[in-house]
Amino acid sequence: MTEILNPRERFGLLVIDEKPDRCNIIPLITSHAATVAGIKLKEYYTDGEAMAKAQITAIEEYEHDAISIFSEVGIIAEAMGSEFNYPDDDLPVLRIPALTKFDIDKLKIPDPNKDSRLPVYLEAIEYAYSAVGDKIPILAYVPAPFTTGMMLSDPNQFLLDTIRNPEQIKKIIEISLEAAIEFSYEIINAGGLPILVDPLASGSVISPKAYQEFALPGEQGLIKFLHRYDFDVILHICGDTTPILDLLLLTGADLISLDKVELNLAIERLAPKMRIIGNFNTTKLGFGSPDGIASQVREMVKHGIKAEKGYIASTGCEVPIRAPTGNVKVFISAAKEAGWFLD
Amino acid sequence: MKSTWFEVARPQKIDLNDWSQHFRLVRDEQIKEFNYYHNPEWGIYLSPPATFMVYGARELKRLKFDNSLASLRMWGFVFNESERLFRAKQMGKRVIATMGDLGTVPVIIMAFPNCIPFYPECIWWTPFFKESTVLLDTATELGIPEAACFSKATLAAFHKKAYFPKPDLIFASTGASCDDYSCIMQLVNDLGYEMLWLEIPFRRHNDEQYPDRFEEYLISEYERVWNKMVELTVINDKTGLIPSIKKANRLRSLAERIKQLTYEAPITPLPALELMTIEFGNLYGYADLDEWLDIVEMINETVAKRVEKGIGVLKQNAIPIAWITPSADPLLLNLVEDCGLRIVGTEYVINQALVPIEENVEPFRALARSFMKASLIGSTQERIKRIIEGVKNERIKGVLVTNMLGCSHCAMETRLIEKMLSKVPVLSIDVPVPFGITEQLRTRIAAFAETLR
Repeated sequence: MTEILNPRERFGLLVIDEKPDRCNIIPLITSHAATVAGIKLKEYYTDGEAMAKAQITAIEEYEHDAISIFSEVGIIAEAMGSEFNYPDDDLPVLRIPALTKFDIDKLKIPDPNKDSRLPVYLEAIEYAYSAVGDKIPILAYVPAPFTTGMMLSDPNQFLLDTIRNPEQIKKIIEISLEAAIEFSYEIINAGGLPILVDPLASGSVISPKAYQEFALPGEQGLIKFLHRYDFDVILHICGDTTPILDLLLLTGADLISLDKVELNLAIERLAPKMRIIGNFNTTKLGFGSPDGIASQVREMVKHGIKAEKGYIASTGCEVPIRAPTGNVKVFISAAKEAGWFLD
Repeated sequence: MKSTWFEVARPQKIDLNDWSQHFRLVRDEQIKEFNYYHNPEWGIYLSPPATFMVYGARELKRLKFDNSLASLRMWGFVFNESERLFRAKQMGKRVIATMGDLGTVPVIIMAFPNCIPFYPECIWWTPFFKESTVLLDTATELGIPEAACFSKATLAAFHKKAYFPKPDLIFASTGASCDDYSCIMQLVNDLGYEMLWLEIPFRRHNDEQYPDRFEEYLISEYERVWNKMVELTVINDKTGLIPSIKKANRLRSLAERIKQLTYEAPITPLPALELMTIEFGNLYGYADLDEWLDIVEMINETVAKRVEKGIGVLKQNAIPIAWITPSADPLLLNLVEDCGLRIVGTEYVINQALVPIEENVEPFRALARSFMKASLIGSTQERIKRIIEGVKNERIKGVLVTNMLGCSHCAMETRLIEKMLSKVPVLSIDVPVPFGITEQLRTRIAAFAETLR
């Protein structure tokens, strides 16, 4: 199987409903890239050039189909005033949320070129784009407004307030949407394709009703902004989204990245309208045997490529930071084998 | 109604970031207003340059563009062509590759309903817009020597099947044409694509006095094209040629009017990059002629308004020059204007697509006659006679000639052109490989501008 296309060409065909040489393979290799590149995590998420170089090293090692500029979901909230600890060898941890009460007025829309670590992301995108942007899509993960809202507050309190103070929560989400739009705007100018991540809107965290009332409008707002650019928009939600599958159709997303959902069910319900991305269990990637991974990935891809509007073989969530590189390679080679379209 | 930003903005060249900023002021309804193949679902194309940059066109980060809504619309449409060709096929249209003749065969194709002609060779811009050697390297892997002309990108595009869909038919013109490209067409044939080969005659005399048999020969070639199209579509109605020719003429006259307005205005109303894109649109309307016509109408209105108001995109003292053979790297056109020059004449090897097609003779004869004006089928003197005319009447103060890597015309013709244009300064430059514009090249163009000044 000699590959004919580069990742840029392959992704380009997918988004215009054409079949490439094989299915796109984009496991969510985010901070795991630091492990592949052999650098400290703190360096990865505080130095844009280091982040980009780590991503490029990972793509050279694995030969998957996109660069994923991302470290964690608090990035916008931090630029809006939340404080995070920066462990040397772990991801930032929320220390003091920006909102201790409903002092919403003190929230400001961050300047992505100046505030906090948003410029780190932009630098990473620019570096990667200029190095490999002609051949490889540069995906830049943008926390969706609901997730950012939760990172601006005490997460437990935020969830309680969806019931006790829904109007205040909606205001926080509105401001977070504005911030996400500004960040996306700069990402685009840097050469990145913004993709929405809303892990805290998962069915594992909130009910379908809460999703519809609080998370969905923020996702819709950001997707509408990106559609103005004629982008095909990817939305990723972690955890179990089975209860909100029908609601996902209302987001306007063109590609949906799923985690703990039965793939055939997702294909049945969503594939006529959306392209499907997913959804290999990342725990297995971290701890499974290579043989087991290979057969399960082949099985997943065999089903996935039946999705009528297209399919991207991926992981359900981020590849674990310290996942064995051998397992990731097995994932990719099995997906390539099972996702080959040409005779 | 409140004026939009576009209506009040001073004409100027702006970069990608400026465009992104202005694009935020474009209303959603305005974005939905324009779509190709009349499809509002996936046919919208009014996007800022940033969209196409994100999808890999890296040169857009460095280019400057005209700031009118009409130009924004034009760029969105032009950059969208690859998608458009795939969509054409998806919706059951026939996609026909026409190679080598540059301007005539598409008029025949468009006489058939639901048939979309396109020029695969236009893919040669792609390496420059993407600042990428991917297509050139692939062509080399497929057996084209490294030093062959940039049109070799076409072979790679056929191989990869990612830049346009598999054509339903391919018409390949060879003979008195580009020899490198003829080789490339043969290799496309070797990839397994079936082709109907056409012969282009060499014009031994000038473009008005040539033996009748040349016309007769071309007519017989166009009959072969027609018959093949009939075989494909099972439609045989030659009356379709008349509206097709009329449409081509409407486009040609609009493009000519825009050029003349631009060339003659005291202040240049439209940048050279946009003007070149309009000139090349004459070949086939970027795969949706009706929409392209509408866009060119809009640009014409914009240019006319600017001329009427005496405003434009360059300084009034910009020095008029002519450009011979197109600039493969669009950044070169920006660069020339940045150095204080303005383009008031071009010879982009597509003369045959610029002249009106006669409407009072039999259609194939009219097409043959228009093709006999072709740039590459006769002498160098003939090819550049309009430029020589411009020099004589002092409209053109200097000439810039670009040489393409591997282009045998360039190698043979450049010295001849310099000799024929000895009354004005001529600068010959080699078009660099993608993202190869160097300080030395900038300095040479700046020095040329200084000499003219």
